[in-house]
Amino acid sequence: MRVAVLGVGAVGARLARQLVSTEQVDEVVLRDPNRARLDDVLRSLGDGVVSDHHDLLDPVDADVVVLAGDAGTHDVAAARFLRANQHVVSVSDDLGDVRALLDLDSEARERGCAVVVGAGFAPGLTCVLAAHGARRFDAVDEIHVAKVGTGGPACARQHHRALGRMALDWREGGWVQRPPMSGRELCWFPDPIGAQDCYRAALPDALLLVGAFPGVRRVTSRVAATRRDRLTARLPMLWPTHPEGGPGAVRVEVRGRRGRSRDVVVFGAMDRPAVAAGAVAAVGAVWAAEGRLLRPGAAGLAELVEPTPFLAELSRRGVRAAIFEGDALSGSAPRP
Amino acid sequence: MKMVRKALIAVGLAGIVAAILRLRGTGGTPPRDGGWRELSGPELS
Repeated sequence: MRVAVLGVGAVGARLARQLVSTEQVDEVVLRDPNRARLDDVLRSLGDGVVSDHHDLLDPVDADVVVLAGDAGTHDVAAARFLRANQHVVSVSDDLGDVRALLDLDSEARERGCAVVVGAGFAPGLTCVLAAHGARRFDAVDEIHVAKVGTGGPACARQHHRALGRMALDWREGGWVQRPPMSGRELCWFPDPIGAQDCYRAALPDALLLVGAFPGVRRVTSRVAATRRDRLTARLPMLWPTHPEGGPGAVRVEVRGRRGRSRDVVVFGAMDRPAVAAGAVAAVGAVWAAEGRLLRPGAAGLAELVEPTPFLAELSRRGVRAAIFEGDALSGSAPRP
Repeated sequence: MKMVRKALIAVGLAGIVAAILRLRGTGGTPPRDGGWRELSGPELS
């Protein structure tokens, strides 16, 4: 199997490392407009990896193309590689990218190819956790996602953009736009992250989850933000981005019905976001090439993978999910 | 007296700004019991 990775930032480099250590992958092709960064990553990975100094969108000989470059450009790239009958995996968490990628569904189905949308930490691992949680219910009523932390500089920029743009919630069968930084909620993430104030922002999780769970009444997503984030969200970034953020976490709360009773299950994971995103994208790419996805077409991981074996494979790669046991909720009333 | 009045005005203004920006957390209720446990074994097979 040959896999192309377009973009070797924090996520792309981790993803390439995951692919190199995957038995089924014969060769990894790396592309990045930053030649110096590309050479550094190439040197650090050793055998089984080649770089290719073509433009990102030039044709590439690969079974799967993983888009790990800056958010906001994945739609054009995905359409181009899909037309070459290649599977595409995107790690973008940009709302516009995700919407455009999902629009490729019918074309991808016709071609028998997969476009795995939002194959990162959040969305990505969050979608798999939601699907895993949904298995405990006869019907899913609500899904609420929260995340904290960023990967590399591109992720930090996207986090900043998301905090300044309108959020999208699914509520009682319709889309509702909400102001960014509204809906503050104290979310409890796996240790050692603990409690973080989380807010609405332009996050694509709901777009991916609503398609996967027909009949779901409410889907929301929130992201942790500091006071400084709140003050500067609508301004340009005022300081340089860090090379890589610290530990992050995700939390997925699924509410549903089992028989006559209603119940809640909360899953989470704690890791460096770029490391976890790299592992999720790598497993998604390998499964796409092996034909292990549940169907062709463009969708998130909640629709495309069997969650339990996917989580088992992530666990084998060091990305471990957790479940909250105990009284996880502040009350039994419906969430705002 | 003048200093006290200035300090009170400053504190009041800061409070108004904080209220507008809602900088203080409205909080939440911490979990009353329980904790996180890693999924393993039969839960992943």
